Amino acid sequence: MHEKIKRINNTEWEILKGFVENMRVSGRFFLSDLLAEGIEDGALTQLANVACLPGIIRHSYGMPDIHWGYGFPIGGVAAFDETEGIISPGGVGFDINCGVRMITTPLTEADLTDKQGLIEELFEAVPTGVGAKSPIRLSQNDLTLMLEEGARHAVELGYGCEADVGRCEENGAMEGADVSAVSKKARQRGVPQMGTLGSGNHFLELQTAEEIMDEETAKTFGVKEGQLCVMIHCGSRGLGHQVCTDHLKVLEEAVKKYGIELPDRQLACAPLDSPEGLSYFGGMAASANYAWANRQVITHIVREIFVKRFEIDYEEMPLIYDVAHNVAKWEEHDVDGVRRKVCVHRKGATRAFGPGRSEIPHEFRLAGQPVIIPGSMGTSSYLLAGTDGAMSQTFGSTCHGAGRVKSRSSAKKSLTGDAVAAELLKDGIYVRAPNPAAIAEEAPDVYKPSSEVVKTVSDAKISKIAVRLRPLGVIKG
Amino acid sequence: MPFEELEHTADVKMRISAPDFLSLLAESGDAMSSVLFGDFEKEPENMTVEIEAEGADTSELTVNFLSELLFLTEVEYLVPMSYSLKQDGNKVFGTVSGIEFDRTKHSGGICVKGISYSGLSLEKTSAGLELTIIFDI
Repeated sequence: MHEKIKRINNTEWEILKGFVENMRVSGRFFLSDLLAEGIEDGALTQLANVACLPGIIRHSYGMPDIHWGYGFPIGGVAAFDETEGIISPGGVGFDINCGVRMITTPLTEADLTDKQGLIEELFEAVPTGVGAKSPIRLSQNDLTLMLEEGARHAVELGYGCEADVGRCEENGAMEGADVSAVSKKARQRGVPQMGTLGSGNHFLELQTAEEIMDEETAKTFGVKEGQLCVMIHCGSRGLGHQVCTDHLKVLEEAVKKYGIELPDRQLACAPLDSPEGLSYFGGMAASANYAWANRQVITHIVREIFVKRFEIDYEEMPLIYDVAHNVAKWEEHDVDGVRRKVCVHRKGATRAFGPGRSEIPHEFRLAGQPVIIPGSMGTSSYLLAGTDGAMSQTFGSTCHGAGRVKSRSSAKKSLTGDAVAAELLKDGIYVRAPNPAAIAEEAPDVYKPSSEVVKTVSDAKISKIAVRLRPLGVIKG
Repeated sequence: MPFEELEHTADVKMRISAPDFLSLLAESGDAMSSVLFGDFEKEPENMTVEIEAEGADTSELTVNFLSELLFLTEVEYLVPMSYSLKQDGNKVFGTVSGIEFDRTKHSGGICVKGISYSGLSLEKTSAGLELTIIFDI
């Protein structure tokens, strides 16, 4: 490791000021010995660059799934002061509120007598990949309402049930959404893509709750051993991407206007209380709401298929929780003994609020917020709970996934999609994607071991593991 | 091939070469199409749409041109194949032609979320111009 990097304990490391010029605070990141072997210099530089931003509080943070991203590293977290801080799309990403949700069923693996048939039916019903067209006809008025009300409006249109809304972070809709900050172009992209999965690391996965690792927490969350579950990972699609692109142009100018010195152009930003900053926040919040509606519509499609195939009730597939991975939000945190309102950027990171926080659904409040960490196609996913440790150490944040270690191009050179799919099938995992390359690029080998990432957040006490889920069938975008 | 994919952990990084700036934009468009649609068979063009982009410098103009092209591929369901472009100062305008997206023929790629300034470089070479750019996927 670099001379400006100091190990604090088994899982926590510090990037000292001076790693790059003009750092206002030091950086902190969480890695086990195994994960530290693969850390990229570029990701550490990005973590240090974030520490240069105005108004940053305490530290710039990196979660165990940290890797090189755009602006912030993926797995980056930073909180900014209400008056002196900034907001940056580089701390959110192009895919605003890319996130993940988990749904349980009353079924077990033994009920999956035609797994391939089920996956194929889901693949046909949930539009996936490039050029996917929405399965619903969305009016401009309904789009506006989804931008304002998120998952709630999807439920009002019949895509879900009332209980779903309360099981989403922010109740499925961020406050402060500003429809006027969503361009006509973004809306044009948003209308035909509502209820579509996208591609890349987005997925829809069938899983079995193979190992209950914390009985009490799992029981609180309503997950039993052997239970068949569904996980959905996607975001705000072209609408969110366009909002990011549109506001980046404005914020590039804002950097000059407000005389903000940046170590990297990707960190274009504006003061939180500036017109440019407020506009981006409003557009980002509206996009986040679109993403919650998107996952809600997909959930409905999945439930309808399960209800018909397995003759179960719609209500027997409750949403456990839905978390955002790419977002900037106003939150209250204790900083040096003082309660402060701060703007927390999470870029490829998950909110992990500890027990007692009012933002957690009342039925889960004593256990802590559910945290969903997907693995790769062939490795386990995990259900965890937020902790007091996360509140005191990381502004209530934890990792968001396994984290890539291998490039897509090298994955395609060394693996074929058909070979990866055949190998996974040997383990009982049926994979479906629009093309073989999509499978090769997302092969299990290109990710860090999810078990090691989750063990690290557990050892660092920023999350508590409750359930391990084994994949059974996967749709990749 | 005037473009090649370079190593990048999470996204798609491309190096693109062309003799002049407008050709570079066209080659960049082809590079992005290869990411979006994979290897697809060229067919007679049956769609033409107008395209226009502005930028304070050539890097910004390139990013804005590709962002606009990305927008057109999504809302027009266009698979771009050829370009007729002109430049007037900091503005580029013209048409892009191609074929309508067909799931059975053009599903070999991956969605591009945005055009990144990360690692962007545009340099003069003895053969013209060389662009390194990352497509955020």
